[in-house]
Amino acid sequence: MKIPRLQNAVFLGALALAAWPLLTSGPKSAFNLEGFGRLPLLDGGRVKPIDSFARNSLLSVRSKQNVSMDGQRLSAVRWLLDASFKPEAADTYPSFVIDDPEVLGLLGLEQSKGRYFAYWQIEPKREDVQKQAANADVKPSGGRSRFDEAVLALERRLTLYERIKNTFMLSGSGDPSRELAAFADLLPGATRSMHAAKPSKKDQETIKALTEMLQRYNFMAQISAFKAIPPQLGEPAEAWANTGEALVRPARGLGAHPAVASFAQMGSAYRSGDGSAFNAALAAYAQWLAENRPTEVRMAHVEALFNKSQPFISGIALYIIALLLVFAAWALGREDVAAAARAAAWAAFIVHTLGLIARTALQGRPPVTNLYSSAVFVGWGSVLLGMIAERIHRKGFAVAGSSAIGFTTLVIAHHLSASGDTMEMMRAVLDSNFWLATHVITITIGYSSTYLAGMLAIAWVIRRHLLLKPDSESTKALSSLTYGIVAFSLLFSFIGTVLGGIWADQSWGRFWGWDPKENGALLIVLWHAIILHARWGGYARERGIMLMAIFGNIIVSLSWFGVNMLGIGLHSYGFMDKAFWWLTAFVASQLLLMLLGTLPPRFWTQREA
Amino acid sequence: MRRTDALGRFADALSSLKLTLACLALLMVLVVACTLAQVQLGTHLAVERYIRALIVWWTPEGSTMRIPVFPGGGLVGGLLLANIGLAQFLRLERSWRKAGLWVTHIGLALLFVGEFTTALMQVESSMAIEEGQTKNYSEDYRRMEVALTDVTDPGFDNVYAVPDSLLKTRRELPLSGLPFKLVVRAYHDNAQIRMRTPADGPSEVTSGMGANIAVSPLPLVTQDNEQNTAVAIVEPVARDGAGLGVFLVSNGLGAPQGFSHEGRRWALSLRQRRYQHPFSLTLKDFRHDVYPGTEIPKNFSSLVRLKDPATGDDRDVLIYMNSPLRHGGLTFYQASFGKNDTLSVLQVVRNPSWTLPYVSCTLVALGLLWHFGLMLRKTMVKVL
Repeated sequence: MKIPRLQNAVFLGALALAAWPLLTSGPKSAFNLEGFGRLPLLDGGRVKPIDSFARNSLLSVRSKQNVSMDGQRLSAVRWLLDASFKPEAADTYPSFVIDDPEVLGLLGLEQSKGRYFAYWQIEPKREDVQKQAANADVKPSGGRSRFDEAVLALERRLTLYERIKNTFMLSGSGDPSRELAAFADLLPGATRSMHAAKPSKKDQETIKALTEMLQRYNFMAQISAFKAIPPQLGEPAEAWANTGEALVRPARGLGAHPAVASFAQMGSAYRSGDGSAFNAALAAYAQWLAENRPTEVRMAHVEALFNKSQPFISGIALYIIALLLVFAAWALGREDVAAAARAAAWAAFIVHTLGLIARTALQGRPPVTNLYSSAVFVGWGSVLLGMIAERIHRKGFAVAGSSAIGFTTLVIAHHLSASGDTMEMMRAVLDSNFWLATHVITITIGYSSTYLAGMLAIAWVIRRHLLLKPDSESTKALSSLTYGIVAFSLLFSFIGTVLGGIWADQSWGRFWGWDPKENGALLIVLWHAIILHARWGGYARERGIMLMAIFGNIIVSLSWFGVNMLGIGLHSYGFMDKAFWWLTAFVASQLLLMLLGTLPPRFWTQREA
Repeated sequence: MRRTDALGRFADALSSLKLTLACLALLMVLVVACTLAQVQLGTHLAVERYIRALIVWWTPEGSTMRIPVFPGGGLVGGLLLANIGLAQFLRLERSWRKAGLWVTHIGLALLFVGEFTTALMQVESSMAIEEGQTKNYSEDYRRMEVALTDVTDPGFDNVYAVPDSLLKTRRELPLSGLPFKLVVRAYHDNAQIRMRTPADGPSEVTSGMGANIAVSPLPLVTQDNEQNTAVAIVEPVARDGAGLGVFLVSNGLGAPQGFSHEGRRWALSLRQRRYQHPFSLTLKDFRHDVYPGTEIPKNFSSLVRLKDPATGDDRDVLIYMNSPLRHGGLTFYQASFGKNDTLSVLQVVRNPSWTLPYVSCTLVALGLLWHFGLMLRKTMVKVL
């Protein structure tokens, strides 16, 4: 038996490519940065590794997960460590992305020198930014100018950075271990002095010194960006504290928290560039954690691994490979290349699936909980359906269509992830795994299949104009697949929509409120019903169905993203604004394709008699 | 036989697939229009104008003309319902092959009927209870009433309420069983109230605090988070024709106003319309949990004591997100909260047709599964 070599090679190669980030380690460092990144902290209501917090923060400050400068690339964890313990160095990193020319004007910076700027470049105008932001903040969100939005965004990023700088220790207060020792030395004497019947001058000085220290720690407690000090054995699982809160414990008569000393040791070692001392303190703390907070440690570990593996980024690359292979197979007319394309698509799908499973397990929730995860899931659903459809008609159309959707949705997800933690906690009304698992999943599968039908229809339109000789068998396969998938979409969108109504009835007492999101879902259902009835009535034949399926792309996109932009209007800027133009461009492209579909085949070539 | 012919043709047209498609397309346009209109009008009014209307009217800026521009949701939905019903019996073959479509269409018809009955019969109100408080009524936040309360006996209030629909349409309201009638001098759905200044001239109000208040009518607000300040100027008139004072009442005024007549004392107020229930709820505890270290709400819940002498209920119920209390034809949902987490606001809904969507969803899902399952099997047989 002949072993299909190319196919296997592509499959294994693709998987190896996806596993690559896990097998490599970052740039060599004397410090165990990965180990530090795995330590758990509490932020946004959930325990996550420092690595996740660092990546998300850097994403919102810099729109990237690392800092590149002077030919080297600093990981997010390294950036966080520097900001925490070596703020004087971190202040010189180009950490802030600023695009708005008016904001740059306010800061007195020039756009020509790149879009990334360091904190020290902004610091002289810090108060101006604050003033302008406060000014913009009081305006209603519809009435803000582009400058207002940009300066507000900058203020939020600066604040986040400043909070990070003052979380592990007060920025600029020198060696954290020495500070801790000084506090421990001062405390007993100061307590005695406070209770002295007749405080001497020295007593008064000690009390004053202690008060100043406590004021500093309280300041830290108030502005700290996250809570890195875990609850000790016997304390409730949500009793996390930030360093400021934990520092004042001894003054309240509570025992010093071992984690505070550990972080101080790591900080001192990091400041002095002593890698082995840093690693030893880290190992000791990891040991303490494993004994006291085993569950949190495990979760943080897995999440850090997930961050490192970046399955959805690998997925983007693999889907592109699959797509290129399909094109190659069509161009060369070779069955083995087509099989390789299928293998690449399967590999991409496996990586995509593993990523979804990891997210689901980490979050303890069904896969779709927010816009980001809906993008990941819509792509996944399309690919799954496409791979099944491909088994019915092995023409490569379903692989091409689903790979294109997989690629696009993962790119969209990547851009959505810049808005913060993608595993954020669910607000009260959404806190229902049952409805997330039923309504949200069904409706999202409805999106997936609509896009797949739309992609197949696009393939139909393009083939019509590019094909040199008619291939009626393939055309028939395409049209029957599209029809079947439209029927599938109707089923899932309808059930999903009605389940949504039932959820609404359960949570606020009305089955159907005609709110924008519900209306969007209804439009999808109505449109599919129109397609199917038009076909049954014979009003739309092959071409009509195809054009209508392409229009389905528009309806789903408007219902998925357009609804979130309602009421934003022309005066709003920021992410959704950018997305708005992309959405408009997408709608326009689909309309163009529909127009192309109405034109006679190969209208642009001279027909030979 | 012309008549039958005409009737036949009419039935054909009404049951035609073309009409189905037209209705579906019109419905899509309406849904899009309604969604866009919500930005300006708020959900409630947009739905009233586009969906729960037979005709969509357009009033040009600065005119009072009402020009019909589009069939409303009621008309299109009704037509579609008739269309489905007729097509079902006139056109669709009765066979197992088409059984899925039968079930689907019956389910759809039920969904429409459900939406129609909801539009007609659903009553929404809310119940705000503070911890420790007991209430046996809920309040309608869109409708008002003037309440006349006999407060002579401190232990027992006898309330007579006049709904705003009557206040708006009648000049004079005989109140059966009361020793006076009510004359309505003015009613405003929404108005600004402020202290009178000498420039305002004399007021027609003679009694109570209203004599010092000036009223300037405002357009009705419809956004979901806005509240109208309704104002009524009313005069109780005794049987012998003697006026008992002209009062200005408003839900924007807190303090009680009243008068005495035939030895009894009456309080007069304009308030949100109240629905009395034959049972009571006592709020024992309201909880508002957040995720640790954040302000993100994790859960809202109200622990209430339900007491209903008629059914013999006397038990604790926990109402929380996605878990309402259904009792006596009403459903109580956790809606809002206030006063430093000591006040809980429950949404109270009476919707006799709430089960219809559940039935219809099941039917449509089964029907579609059946139909598409058959289709898929056919394809698979061909392929394999």
